[in-house]
Amino acid sequence: MNPIRDAWQSVFRRDPLSTDKGKSELVFLNVWLHIHPAKVKKENLKVKHTFYLGFITFFLFIILVTTGVALMFYYRPHPPQAYQDMKDLQFVVYLGNFLRNMHRWSAHGMVICVFLHMCRVFYTGSYKRPRQFNWVIGVVLFLLTLGLSFTGYLLPWDQLAFWAITVGTNIGSYAPLVGGRIRELLLGGHTVGEAALLRFYVLHVAVLPSVVTLLTMVHFWRVRKDGGLSRPVWKLKEEKPAQLVTIGAPEPVAVLAAGPASKDKTYGLMEVVTGKPIFETVSMEEEEDTIFSYPYAFFREGIALLVTVASVMAVSIFFKAPLEELANPAKTPNPAKAPWYFLGLQELVSHSALLGGVVVPGLIVLVLLAIPYIDPNPSRRPADRKWAIRAFTLFVVVNIILIVIGTMFRGPGWALVPPWVHIAGGE
Amino acid sequence: MERRLPQFFFALSLIVLALMLGAVWQAASPAWKTYQQEFHRLEAAGEPNAAAKSDVLNADLVIKQDLLPGLQRVDRCTTCHLGAEDPTMKNAPQPFTYHANLGPHVPAKFGCTVCHGGQGLATDKQNAHGMVPFWQEPLLAKDYIRASCGRCHKEGEVPDVPELTEGRRLFETQGCRGCHKLNGVGGTIGPDLTEEGAIRRFPEWLEKHFLDPNTVSRNSPMPNFHFTKAQARALTFYMLSLTSEQMGSYYSSVRLIPSAGYGRQLFVEKNCIACHSIGGVGAKGGPDLLGLTKQHSSGWLDEQLVNPQTVYPGSIMPAYDLDTNSRKAILIFMASATAEDAQAILSQRAKALTPRDAAIEAGKQSFARFGCVGCHGLELQGGVPNPNSQGGEVPSLLHASDDYTEEEVIKIIQNGKVPPVENARGPAAPLYMPSWKSVLTDEDIHRIADYLWSLQKKKESW
Amino acid sequence: MKRRSIVSWGSAGLVALCSGISVSLAAVLRFLTPSVFYEPPQDFKIGNPADFSFGPPTFLADQKIFVFRDREKGFAVANAVCTHLGCTVGYFQSDEQFHCPCHGSVFSADGKVQHGPAPRPLEWFEVTVARDGQLRVDKDHIVPASYRLMV
Repeated sequence: MNPIRDAWQSVFRRDPLSTDKGKSELVFLNVWLHIHPAKVKKENLKVKHTFYLGFITFFLFIILVTTGVALMFYYRPHPPQAYQDMKDLQFVVYLGNFLRNMHRWSAHGMVICVFLHMCRVFYTGSYKRPRQFNWVIGVVLFLLTLGLSFTGYLLPWDQLAFWAITVGTNIGSYAPLVGGRIRELLLGGHTVGEAALLRFYVLHVAVLPSVVTLLTMVHFWRVRKDGGLSRPVWKLKEEKPAQLVTIGAPEPVAVLAAGPASKDKTYGLMEVVTGKPIFETVSMEEEEDTIFSYPYAFFREGIALLVTVASVMAVSIFFKAPLEELANPAKTPNPAKAPWYFLGLQELVSHSALLGGVVVPGLIVLVLLAIPYIDPNPSRRPADRKWAIRAFTLFVVVNIILIVIGTMFRGPGWALVPPWVHIAGGE
Repeated sequence: MERRLPQFFFALSLIVLALMLGAVWQAASPAWKTYQQEFHRLEAAGEPNAAAKSDVLNADLVIKQDLLPGLQRVDRCTTCHLGAEDPTMKNAPQPFTYHANLGPHVPAKFGCTVCHGGQGLATDKQNAHGMVPFWQEPLLAKDYIRASCGRCHKEGEVPDVPELTEGRRLFETQGCRGCHKLNGVGGTIGPDLTEEGAIRRFPEWLEKHFLDPNTVSRNSPMPNFHFTKAQARALTFYMLSLTSEQMGSYYSSVRLIPSAGYGRQLFVEKNCIACHSIGGVGAKGGPDLLGLTKQHSSGWLDEQLVNPQTVYPGSIMPAYDLDTNSRKAILIFMASATAEDAQAILSQRAKALTPRDAAIEAGKQSFARFGCVGCHGLELQGGVPNPNSQGGEVPSLLHASDDYTEEEVIKIIQNGKVPPVENARGPAAPLYMPSWKSVLTDEDIHRIADYLWSLQKKKESW
Repeated sequence: MKRRSIVSWGSAGLVALCSGISVSLAAVLRFLTPSVFYEPPQDFKIGNPADFSFGPPTFLADQKIFVFRDREKGFAVANAVCTHLGCTVGYFQSDEQFHCPCHGSVFSADGKVQHGPAPRPLEWFEVTVARDGQLRVDKDHIVPASYRLMV
């Protein structure tokens, strides 16, 4: 009895990774990794199908939480100390500038990636039955991401922050009946001031991240329960009627499964490798198509993580996050612009406050949420979904155009100016 | 128990619900709401018609707050003291009584606690009046409220508050600085008094302390100065006014209330009588000033004081660097100045002193200003108790020349001196001569020595 | 346990649960609504009526209001905050209109939108005479554009 070996094994309890059992146990005996299946299909890992956008968004969130907590050690959510602390982070805190840049660029990256992820899920038809509600959760996560970005935008307390939030909360107040009340609750007052900064800070570091974390857990759980990561099923060869086998029974018995063998994997095959007898009904072909998550899936995930981290670090080293002069309620910059992801909205609002600020965005959100339920087409094949794809593409393109107009073509007084004329603001 | 678990669970849930409702009810019915409702009833009684009455009776019940960033305070007193600015509430009972004679000191600009004391952040009576532990600024008794005038009006006279001026004068002449620091200057034997008016606003304690320090501060090395009740009161007023509160520029701009007395002082300081006359008495270099304030607007006169060239290009009157209050004070003085005043000013011109006399006079001023009189006495007689020092008391300086040369005394003033102890095993004597070389210049010290030598009693000849 | 008694306990429990949830929700909303504001007050005095001139309105920068005084009709107080996105409008005597610098909204002298993206006219605030004779403005009470205070 070697006490050191015993102690070690009381911590790390799985078999060595050289064995199949060990590879499986790495997944299902580990609290951090057991959301993964022990084995995946090769198609689950296709980069050109998902571009790993979901992973990238999640990794960006991890980066944001980590850098965010680090920044919290040096930031006080009270004007005007907040601005002073931003300067301290830039000039005196060790790695302060780098961490702040990481946080800001990851935030923009996360908004972009969560949007691209939503597009990808739409284009691959992955929201269809049985994954409808997971799409809804995803849309909510998208809105929460915008909320996190918006609440964080105010925290530097510079002119950019102050006026972007003034414009943003004013747009929000256009909602009928509740608009004024929501604005008052958000701001803790009538104007953007110290109460607003404190509330935005609490929302940004505590409330919204907690809700995002909880919903992300549900989102991942559902992905697993609904059959794992998206695969381009329309590209796979037509499957023969499943040759059903009952594994582990001492002699051939009647099929015990409640329904037909599913095309997607719904649970791991740890039962196979432990050698314990269970009664499962799976297709034999499926068995042969799968590969262990360790190392194949994890290696790719790791690459996605490294690419994300490397990109954010590179951008953070070469590009400085903006910090304008101290917020001055008496001096409105001309033009005063909302954060870039709301500039499309602001462009609409400049034409009509009610339509552009309430009706159109409200409709967009409602339609987005309802997509899985109003889409009657069960096929995921792109050739079968031409109009759905065209409609969504139109939506994406219009959004981008509106944002581009708002960012690059609007100058003082919100007049149209060509982008090569220097325009202040926008980011 | 097992059989009745659902009922038990239900009962517990009802208890939790009841507690929740209790907490909500407690939060929803604070005392200030009752006061506001009562005030609305008073107001409604004074309204002429039914519509106005019902408007008042149904008005919202809200916490009223005066946000005072310039004073770094937040006062919520007007939540209950709703009649403070309402003249129709002259005879209303407290807390609704009208506050007469506010002048410029309206709650929206000044709050209430900066004069009255109390805890402005609170919203119930006992806490708001500050009669609670851990709050150092309780409501000041009516008798002492005017001491707070000195918190902003730190220089010159305050009308109707002679105690402040007297207190300041006593502080400077009785040698308090010898043991107490004030605004960075003074000794370290006693506590620093710079914030006395902010950290310990208890007038009864302060007065007792001045009448006899040992009654409130056991074994205090502070001697009994045998102040009269009036002097103790004046010093208490002065103590209550001592704060170094960082105040916005609006508040610190009236450190000195413009008055005719101050105006006269400036008139003398700037030597206006050298060019001007009043009612014919004075010089002929500039116009006579009698009745000028009636002929010209205050704005025109103010401009004249700021820059005479803009009013009269080519004028030989210099542009004095006077702030707004000083200019106001001069104009107030000019409004009532007569030929008699000019005569008095002319005759009060200081007689020239010999250099030696001037040095002794300067030394005397320093001796009082830096607190030497506190230990050594106004007449250099000493006598302040100093337990366990040889002789048991601070020595008289009138015979210093018997034991020391002037040079040696200068060295003692520069470097300080710890008195030899009577009993080596007893505690050190509490009073000692501090070192002054980092506070006083060499010239100052020489002049003090000259002053001391001018008062030396000649050794009695046998 | 008899089934019948469970059913009656159950519905009573449901009622208690619902009331608990609604009370909690209401309490949370009340908690998030601020009781005091760390801002300049909504209800304030602006001085004596005699201090205000006739003709073009007096602009009070700290409180962001315009004070109009008409010989026949009396006092009116307008909000200087543009209803579009919150910038401060300026009054121009040349055309007797309010112009907003941010997105070009223009309001006539009675606050109505003439031009630009502003969705609503400028608000008019209630102005009354306080007990000590000074003019008192209450930004929490909006009045119609025709409101005047005769002193």
